[in-house]
Amino acid sequence: MIGALFYLRLTSLLNLVAHRIGRLRQPKYLVGAAVAVAYFYFVLVRGPVRAAGIPAVAGGRQIGFALICAFLCLLGLVRIAYAWIFPPEKPGLRFSEAEIAFLFPAPVTRKTLIHYRLLSSQIAILFTSVLMAFVFNRFGYLGGYRSLRAIGWWVILSTYDLHLNGTNLTLCTLRERSRHFLLWRLGVVTAIAVYVVAVFRSAIGLVEGLLSGPISAQAGSERFIEQVVDSPSLHWLTLPFRIIFGPYAASGLGEFAAAMVPALLLLALHYYWVSSTEARFEEGSIALAEKRAAIRAAVQRGEIPSIGNSKPRARSGPFPLPPKGLPEMAFLWKNLLSIRSSLLNRRVILLVVVLMVSLFMGPLLSLRTETIGTEAFRKIVAVLCGMFAAYTMLVGPQLARQDLRSDLPNADILKTYPMQGWRLALGELLAPTVILTAVLWFMLLVCAAAVDTGEGGWLTGGVRVTVVVCLALAAPLVCLIQLIVPNWIMMLMPGWYQASRSRVGGIETFGQSLMFGIIQLLFALAVIVPAAGAACLIIFSSQWLIGPGPAVALAAAVVLPVLAGEAAFGLWWLGERFEKFDLSTESR
Amino acid sequence: MVLPRGRDARTVPPMIEVEALTKRYGTFTAVRNLSFTVRPGEVLGLVGPNGAGKTSTLRCLAGIIPSSEGKVRIAGHDLSVDPVAAKRSLAFFPDEPRLFEYLTVRQHLNFVARIYGVANYEDLAVPLLEELELAEKADVLPGELSRGMKQKLVIACGLLHSPRVMFFDEPLTGLDPLGIRRMKDSIVRRARDGAAIVLSSHLLHLLQEVCTNVLILKKGDKVADGTMAEVAAQFSNGEANVSLEEIFIRATGGSET
Repeated sequence: MIGALFYLRLTSLLNLVAHRIGRLRQPKYLVGAAVAVAYFYFVLVRGPVRAAGIPAVAGGRQIGFALICAFLCLLGLVRIAYAWIFPPEKPGLRFSEAEIAFLFPAPVTRKTLIHYRLLSSQIAILFTSVLMAFVFNRFGYLGGYRSLRAIGWWVILSTYDLHLNGTNLTLCTLRERSRHFLLWRLGVVTAIAVYVVAVFRSAIGLVEGLLSGPISAQAGSERFIEQVVDSPSLHWLTLPFRIIFGPYAASGLGEFAAAMVPALLLLALHYYWVSSTEARFEEGSIALAEKRAAIRAAVQRGEIPSIGNSKPRARSGPFPLPPKGLPEMAFLWKNLLSIRSSLLNRRVILLVVVLMVSLFMGPLLSLRTETIGTEAFRKIVAVLCGMFAAYTMLVGPQLARQDLRSDLPNADILKTYPMQGWRLALGELLAPTVILTAVLWFMLLVCAAAVDTGEGGWLTGGVRVTVVVCLALAAPLVCLIQLIVPNWIMMLMPGWYQASRSRVGGIETFGQSLMFGIIQLLFALAVIVPAAGAACLIIFSSQWLIGPGPAVALAAAVVLPVLAGEAAFGLWWLGERFEKFDLSTESR
Repeated sequence: MVLPRGRDARTVPPMIEVEALTKRYGTFTAVRNLSFTVRPGEVLGLVGPNGAGKTSTLRCLAGIIPSSEGKVRIAGHDLSVDPVAAKRSLAFFPDEPRLFEYLTVRQHLNFVARIYGVANYEDLAVPLLEELELAEKADVLPGELSRGMKQKLVIACGLLHSPRVMFFDEPLTGLDPLGIRRMKDSIVRRARDGAAIVLSSHLLHLLQEVCTNVLILKKGDKVADGTMAEVAAQFSNGEANVSLEEIFIRATGGSET
């Protein structure tokens, strides 16, 4: 039976590869693939490492491995602890909906299904291992052979995958058979916590001891790390992880071969654990598949999937919507309503409040006492706000997708509405524009409060108010233009856009996403830089005559209509395009 | 069941006028030189094998996709010249219910009312929801509705602005037997009230029951067009009581495309 399942997996993989290669005949995929290959080649393959067997950089290797291993161990421990602390209501193994439909009713034993699951994981693990070997070998100080590093990664990822599957199956068995499920979980979580504390205490004790002792500068950090890692207490405490990471950290063939023996033994023990479990995982797997399908659907709709309960909840509208009035407001109302409740939950509100308080504390304190500390704090706040505002302008349109992008599946219905295209486009773009503008205004206010006016400087209160008002007026226009860009891209190349939203797109869709990001950035520069340049030119040339405040107002009076004109043209074009848009043919 | 039609029905100006409609996708022609009219009170059954061009025709008529050539007039408004006025008069009911995931049943109606400017929508919504058995689900999201219920919500949204022209694409998909009966009655009632209806379906018995006219398409070409009796006469070969299914098979040559 496993032969049939192997055939299914292998045939699916071969067909997938053939399909991916076949679709490269379409320019949208060919260009995307070319961009992605170029990216991987120049960023990952070339990089600092150019050939196999590069010698390690003295002193750096030990630290590099220690850091990577410590980080990955911590990550793995957190994931395993999470599985025990927050187990799903029905733990299970990961199968796709199609696999469940075909394999679960088929005359196949549970053990065979488990083996199929493990086999399926191996394809992703092999691919990831090769990728990781390239990614991490960029850092020249690691040295070594890429092929050995790839095998090392395979050992790490396979053991982790087996351990996670074993955990899920054990949780499944315990939930079903044990009356003390909670006690079991408490016990395991406590054991993990005790282990982590023991490792940290040992490490901290050793570090403190070594730092207080005579450490020669020549011995350096490499010797220091060696002393910490090889100490008796940590040696035994971290032994399982050292075994798993042994082949990856090996510097030569001999060391690698020696490290592989215990690593494969540990892997075999994990395999025995998983394959000998008699857990009834079917219900859990079905629930998991449904959840993943919902997440995938949310991603394809352009939404941020929620981690917990993925079901949306009914909520009252953001404002009353009378039946008469501008139809654009109906779209604003609808799209604001569609913002996930998870974005407005108590934790997020608390985070925003803490951020606001901490941001305003500096400026408020500075009103009472002018000290070096508060001065520095105010500068940091101003810089951070400026950076966050720039980030909001550039990346915000990719995140705030409550517009035509999320309504793409409803395009047929939208087109039957008695509205001109540009009005529909405006309505759809209002919600993300409002959201991004609100963020920008908030940052602008904080920045204005944090910036020091200086005694006798040109930035008087009046000038500051003028600048803030002008920037506040420009913010919604800039946001609107920035939001028009991704919607334009979607209208111009719906097939590309649709493909880039897919989670199973492949290397070419990665390239497409990369291209979209670059286009967005270039467009932002093309729109904002000339406008900002023109504004600066007007301000500097006229402020000698009329003063800085009026000069800023004059620059805004010139630049804002230009931005408004650009936004109006963008909306008109988007609307025209939407009226002629047919997703069923253009996304082929 | 065939709708009773007044003797002067053909003198009433048509609500839907299609003149030499052609729809091409690249080099492929989905609909070729199609002309027909639908008057108030008429229910036109659009039939044809898979790939005959039915959905493309309906989508062109509803203004979802532009036609490559030809003219479409809805309630006297040229769809390409004044699409907003034309769309005010029509409603399109797709085969797959497309709804906004985060809007409840009531909020859907509120949204649609604003789009079409239906001032008294609350007065209309209550009986509409009751007629479609959605009153108890008014504050529920689409995700919690069955497929049939979703279909009913689409219908409620489409009927809210009292359209004079309606396009149904496989309207019975997902409905239970009682829902099917009610849907058929609803279509007939709307036609009697003066609506012009185009109905695309593979369920030929449905078309035979509710349609006054039939239009048969094959590979994008019109094979037959007229009242049920006229089309029956065209393909009956002198036989009496020929069913629409038999007419369909004879008209399309019994092949898929």
